[in-house]
Amino acid sequence: MATEVVIPALGITATRGKIVKWLKQEGQPVERGEPLFIVETEKVTTEVESPASGILARILMPAGAEAPTLALVGLITAPGEELPAEYAALAPGEAAAPQAETVPQAESRAETPAPGQILAVPAARRLAREKGLDLAQVTGSGPGGVILFRDVEAAAAPAEPRARVSPLAREIARQEGLALEGIRGSGPGGRIMRADVVARTARAGRAGFDLGQVIPLSHVRRVIARRLTESVVTAPHIYLFSEVWLDPLLDFRRELLPDFEKHFELRPSLNDFLIKAVALNILDFPLLNAQLQGDEIRIMPEVNIGLAVARPEGLIVPAIAQADRLGLVEIARQRADLVARAREDKLTLPELERGTFTISSLAQYDVIAFTAILNPPQSGILTVGKTDEKLVLMDGQVQARRVARLGLSVDHRVVDGSLAAEFLQGLKQKLERPAFTFLHL
Amino acid sequence: MKIGKEKILGLYATMVKIRRFEERIVDLYAHGEVPGLAHLYVGEEAVAAGVCAALERADYITSTHRGHGHVIAKGAELKYMMAELFGKRTGYCKGKGGSMHIADMKMGILGANGIVGGGLPIAAGAGLSAKTRGSGQVTACFFGDGATNTGAWHESLNLASVLKLPVVYVCENNGYGLSTCQAKHQAVTDVALRAAGYAMPGLVVDGNDVLAVHEAALGAVKRARAGQGPSLIECKTYRWRGHHEGDPNQGERYRTRAEIEDWKKKCPLERLKKKILAGKMAPQSKLDRLDKEILTELDQAVAFAKESEFPGLAEMYEDVYVLEAGN
Amino acid sequence: MRELTYAQALNEALRQNMRRDERIIVMGEDIGCFGGIFQVTAGLLDEFGPQRVVETPISEAGFLGAGVGAALTGLRPVVEIMFIDFTTVCMDMIVNQMAKMHYMFGGRGRVPMVLRVNIGAGRGAAAQHSQSLHAFFMHVPGLYVVAPSTPYDAKGLLSAAIRDDNPVLCVEHKKLYAEKGPVPEEDYTIPLGRAEVKRVGGDLTVIATHALVGRSLTAAEEMAREGVEVEVVDPRTLKPLDKETILDSVRKTGRLLVADEGHKTCGLAAEIAALAAEEAIEWLKAPVARVCSPDTPVPYSPVLEAAYIPEVKDLLPAMKRLMEYA
Repeated sequence: MATEVVIPALGITATRGKIVKWLKQEGQPVERGEPLFIVETEKVTTEVESPASGILARILMPAGAEAPTLALVGLITAPGEELPAEYAALAPGEAAAPQAETVPQAESRAETPAPGQILAVPAARRLAREKGLDLAQVTGSGPGGVILFRDVEAAAAPAEPRARVSPLAREIARQEGLALEGIRGSGPGGRIMRADVVARTARAGRAGFDLGQVIPLSHVRRVIARRLTESVVTAPHIYLFSEVWLDPLLDFRRELLPDFEKHFELRPSLNDFLIKAVALNILDFPLLNAQLQGDEIRIMPEVNIGLAVARPEGLIVPAIAQADRLGLVEIARQRADLVARAREDKLTLPELERGTFTISSLAQYDVIAFTAILNPPQSGILTVGKTDEKLVLMDGQVQARRVARLGLSVDHRVVDGSLAAEFLQGLKQKLERPAFTFLHL
Repeated sequence: MKIGKEKILGLYATMVKIRRFEERIVDLYAHGEVPGLAHLYVGEEAVAAGVCAALERADYITSTHRGHGHVIAKGAELKYMMAELFGKRTGYCKGKGGSMHIADMKMGILGANGIVGGGLPIAAGAGLSAKTRGSGQVTACFFGDGATNTGAWHESLNLASVLKLPVVYVCENNGYGLSTCQAKHQAVTDVALRAAGYAMPGLVVDGNDVLAVHEAALGAVKRARAGQGPSLIECKTYRWRGHHEGDPNQGERYRTRAEIEDWKKKCPLERLKKKILAGKMAPQSKLDRLDKEILTELDQAVAFAKESEFPGLAEMYEDVYVLEAGN
Repeated sequence: MRELTYAQALNEALRQNMRRDERIIVMGEDIGCFGGIFQVTAGLLDEFGPQRVVETPISEAGFLGAGVGAALTGLRPVVEIMFIDFTTVCMDMIVNQMAKMHYMFGGRGRVPMVLRVNIGAGRGAAAQHSQSLHAFFMHVPGLYVVAPSTPYDAKGLLSAAIRDDNPVLCVEHKKLYAEKGPVPEEDYTIPLGRAEVKRVGGDLTVIATHALVGRSLTAAEEMAREGVEVEVVDPRTLKPLDKETILDSVRKTGRLLVADEGHKTCGLAAEIAALAAEEAIEWLKAPVARVCSPDTPVPYSPVLEAAYIPEVKDLLPAMKRLMEYA
């Protein structure tokens, strides 16, 4: 069995070697470990030892030849052994013709900006692309004339021309810390001029609403506007109404009131009972406690009921956490505390963000029923109209009953009409059987 | 102290295993079958064999870039070592470590280390851990003369001595840190002298006399296990081959052929073999058989390595982190 | 809820974990009777003894490496290095050993240890004791890095880091050690890799770390008075970064400012800016802003140091500049 003699791998960097000199001749005996030839690489010149004992049968690469690492340079046979046929045919120097490695030419692509290149922020480019707008037609109002997102927004909705602002007016407004929205411009095309800004700074601080008054959006109103618009635009609302017979609940409450006041110094309101009943009803219909997030409907793990509180500066909805697990006393306490703090603007962010379902009541007004906009990202909101005394026909008998209209708005992407109906029906049943319902105390 | 016949034959077998493994690597490496770097232990076998024979399986070792000898002596299986050197996924480190990072926690091999002196603090840590857990485990820390000049070496010996950690520091003084001879890299000739600076015993032994190494190691291990703290054993030895495979003419740029030949005459295997035959502990035929068995095991290891698969590309991203929940 | 300082919260995390698991030991300089230079290990020596509170000589490579060896062999060390500046003394042990062993050993061998360090200028400690080099370690695969900004986060993150089987750097901030905040009494963890939106807003996203979280919240209050709602996101874990929360916020507001005390060049802010450019470019309505420390060593003179540290005075102009792209 012939042993191949190769140019050895010599450390991690050498890739080629040149045979400087053979130390043995063809036909000479060699011992394993004996120096056989000298090889030179880019870094190193060293002797190569014979890998086997025998006869150096063939030298395939002469001194001076260069080849890649592991190229076959010679053959050793056992004494008396014939050189195998496949090797016999090889002529000296025929092993491993070294291939010059071609280095791929790096393609250089000169970056030359096109003449008249348009500067726009990336979001503006995307919007323009989505709206099929040509950026060349949009005027940029950003620093250095760059096209901003809102510039493309405006260009896409030309029905409402944006008020332009004179540079001086803009500067004064910036110095005064004034928001430009809401300032009516008296210049050409509604352009806001210096005089308008100066007049506005003089008017700032007056309370109440007058005809012709222009009110810049406070951050609360801005948030309300954004959220409710988002809700209306993204969630398809459906509305259902039901009439609830309230006498059992009102009587139930009237009976409890003296004991509650005596023992807990509290007067549970109708809303407290509603909150509890809704929370319990959600346990029967958990999908009303869900939120659509991307591709998933996530049913929230906690039932946190929000109560809409009206304030002059705007609506706010704090929520009672885990209302399904709280007793009426605790619900009443928390409700009172949250409403009071809502009016003083002292609510915490978790209290405002944790709600999973909302109740909105206009029962103190002469409003029999109304539709509400979902509080995003919730999927359900209950409205409460005023309690009316009515004459109804029951089993052929005319009776006087106190009734109220409850409205339910749901996000039809999450809750279908029939489920919403079942929810409302379940709620009505709970409210009309208070003793049983509130055994969950 | 008398070392029994069985033990002596065991020491011989270990040294032969190391020698044959390394010789095979020479071939495989020259033929390009083992990628990367190879730092071979030929000539130093007595140190690894003598020290590891004094350790239990549960004891720890830290090793160096020249770690095949330590790892084999501690009980690593040739086929998994070979697979690792070939870069195959069946290797000890799933092909991700290579020659300089071979490890096996189950056998207490805390890794060969590519950083000179890198294993020193880790050994102290293993000692600290054993002491804290009260397990009685001892750690043998291998390093060369070059490592004794690093800050990490000093810090480790200091820590082990002040905290009385169960560590046996084993210096394989082969006279060179790569190409720099000892006289040029440190002012002392006997590294063991430095032990005094850490109030620990320091011993110089003939690193090519496996029985002397073993005896010294037994003493140091006993001391450590008894809670008496660390020791430093300096083994004077020599590496026959260059610093790495590819070091021209086995290091002729910085040492003479005559020196190499001189040391080859002190071959640790030959010396023990003479003792075995002279003491009639085993016949030549038994030793020949041993050699043959080892070569067969080696052939099988190479075949295993060659047949095994390389890691899949996705495995490059595995084991960067432990992803299961922690404790 | 009772309030603790950041340092006390860390101390409580160490204490509760050490009671729970006897494999946990702490190591470092002056951590014993001195209690650590920021008092984070105060009282631990008394409760747990010298076997588990190991005071070390000044030899970072030695004792950090020892921590690695101990972690490989059954313990769960929490090693303290006095200032992040001193990690440079033992870089090999961190980068080549601690971070890589699990990988190099093919997943067979874990290093469940925590390395606690602190960053930040502001105490006149000058160039070699005030750096914020946490980006160095985000760059090394195999390490996790956490960065608490409040006492609550400090206790929860350290606890999570101790329980994790990976090597974790807990990067604390010198100026936060004395800050008080609510901290629950029980043993709790904050999941690694989860950012927290510390303030919700729709106009501008600030990703802030450490002391810059509080400063960003202050700046946000200012901006709210002008009708701009700033969202402040605290990554809490730097590696792995909670890309989802960060990019969700960027897509929501379209304006990104990153506030970090590391140097501007090649720091955490650069990484997050690149992330935004790679994965949310079409949502950007304005350039990305970075509010960081300048590319100089920390100067000694108080006047210069005050100018050096990124503060509300640097955040506000940057935020306002972004709103020019409103």
